[in-house]
Parts: sequence; C-alpha cells; structure tokens
Amino acid sequence: MNKDIEKQAREFFAAENFDKNSEYYCKTRDIFQARLDKMIIYLLKEQLKEEDAYILSAIAGEIGNNSFDHNLGSWVGEIGIFFAYGKVNNVLTIVLADAGQGVYKTLKKVKPELKNDIEALRTAFNEKISGRAPESRGNGLKFVKANIKDRGMHLDFYSGSAKAELNYAEKIEAVNGSYQGCLAIISLKKI
Amino acid sequence: MLGYNQLKENMKIELRKFGDILVSRPAGREAYLAMSAYLLKGVDENELIELDFQGVKVMAPSWADEVLTKIALKYKNLKLLNTENSSVRATLKTLEEFSDFKNLNYAGRNKKAN
Repeated sequence: MNKDIEKQAREFFAAENFDKNSEYYCKTRDIFQARLDKMIIYLLKEQLKEEDAYILSAIAGEIGNNSFDHNLGSWVGEIGIFFAYGKVNNVLTIVLADAGQGVYKTLKKVKPELKNDIEALRTAFNEKISGRAPESRGNGLKFVKANIKDRGMHLDFYSGSAKAELNYAEKIEAVNGSYQGCLAIISLKKI
Repeated sequence: MLGYNQLKENMKIELRKFGDILVSRPAGREAYLAMSAYLLKGVDENELIELDFQGVKVMAPSWADEVLTKIALKYKNLKLLNTENSSVRATLKTLEEFSDFKNLNYAGRNKKAN
C-alpha cells in the first residue's frame, strides 16, 4: 500500500479527486462487507495471529458501518466510504474515511451542550450515547477503544478539527485544518 | 430446519448459520427477524435457549446488540456456548458494559460461558 494512503484518504472525497471506480471506494455497505471479508483473508495470509485478525476486522467493521449508520440520508459529500488496508513501512495499516456529517454534528442532536469537535470525540469514545437516539446504540466506539488498547494497536481518529489518538492511552486534541467527516487510521506494528 | 436444533427442554441456535462475519446492525436486525420468525416462534420466555458461537470468526457489538441484547431482553434463560473467539469475547464484554445485556440473568455470564 502506498505510504501516502492517509493523504489519499483525506482528499478522496474532494470533488476534484473523487473516483467512483477506485478499488478503495465502497459506495454501499454490501461492498464494504465484501471487502472486509477479503481483508480477513489478507490478514491471515500475512501471518497475523487469528485473534488479532478477528479483532481488527471487528474494529474496522464497527468504524465503517458507523459511517453508513449515522449518515444514511445525510451524507454531506458522496455517499459511501473509503476503505484501504495493507502494509506501510512494514506496519499494518487500515484506513477508513467518509464525507459524512462528522461526530460533532451527529452527537449534538442528542447532546446539545456539546461545544466542539474535541468534546464530541471525548463523548463518543467514553460515554454511553447514541447519535441515533431513541434507538439504543452507542457501544461501538467504546469497543474500538478498549480493543485498540488491549491488543497494542494504534488509532488516529479525525473528525472536524479534532483528533483522538488511542493506544495504551487516550489523547484528544485540536488539530490544524479539519476533516469534513470521519477519518480513521488503525495501525499494528506486530506484523 | 435452518440453524435450529430443538432438544426436549432447550433450543440451540447456531449463530454461524447467520454467517461467520457478523458486523453490522442491518445484518443483525435481519438475523433477529429471521430467528423470531423461524427459530424462536412460540418459544416460552422461560425456556432454556443455547446460543452457540462455534464457527463465528468476527463478531462486532453492532450486530450482537441487535441480536443478543434483544434475545436477552425477551428470554430469561440463556446459555452461551463456545465463546472462545477473541471478537466474540470482546463483544460480550462490551455488551455487558454498555448495553441492556448486563442487567439480565443468564447462564454463561461473567466469562462462565463454555
């Protein structure tokens, strides 16, 4: 996988770059599911331990499906997600991105007191809250956080002008520039 | 019948019959509807139901919340079998912590699953 995959993901949904025929583009959830199945085969071929491969796939599945769950009927840009995986400098890397509403706009509907992207990310990764209340949801990113930590993985999750960096610890901070929807970069050095 | 073994006093639902990668809410909702129509129809809420995870490779909380939490809300006597898979274990832990799954009395809770 190209080492500039993060840049490619960041810019993928820009009108001038968008490529509906890209191998990384999953317009629908079904396409994402099929490519997720294929990723598991890849991870096992790369000698990743089964337990790590299955957890990684569950994490990617949660993040990717979140994009579809929370943006159905409300995509800001093109519908669907960017989904790529492979090795970058011998580090297993999975990248998911969408041109959706982002975490702040999604959660502000159910938690109006949220003031910014940082608070939204802190809430998303730590509180039991559903962006689709009154449906009872909101456990996915807690699952992601717990298992990133338990498995020695690393996650950079961007939304709006904030970034959550998760590994053995959690750091949420403002970043320069902003990302319209959500951008997640998962990495694992064990491979 | 599809994914279904009924013994004298209990029922076993083989989750692998719904797929070995169980990750999205829509898929979970569809699975629960199929279970309700074909497997759990007419089953008494006090009957022992065994949920067998054998053969499941990837399970995520979104799918599980649509299936396991709903079953646990309706049926009082659940037993979880073959939960060794890492993503199954992690998902059950998340459901216990963040969903209504935790408030129910079922065999196999607190890592006592077979």
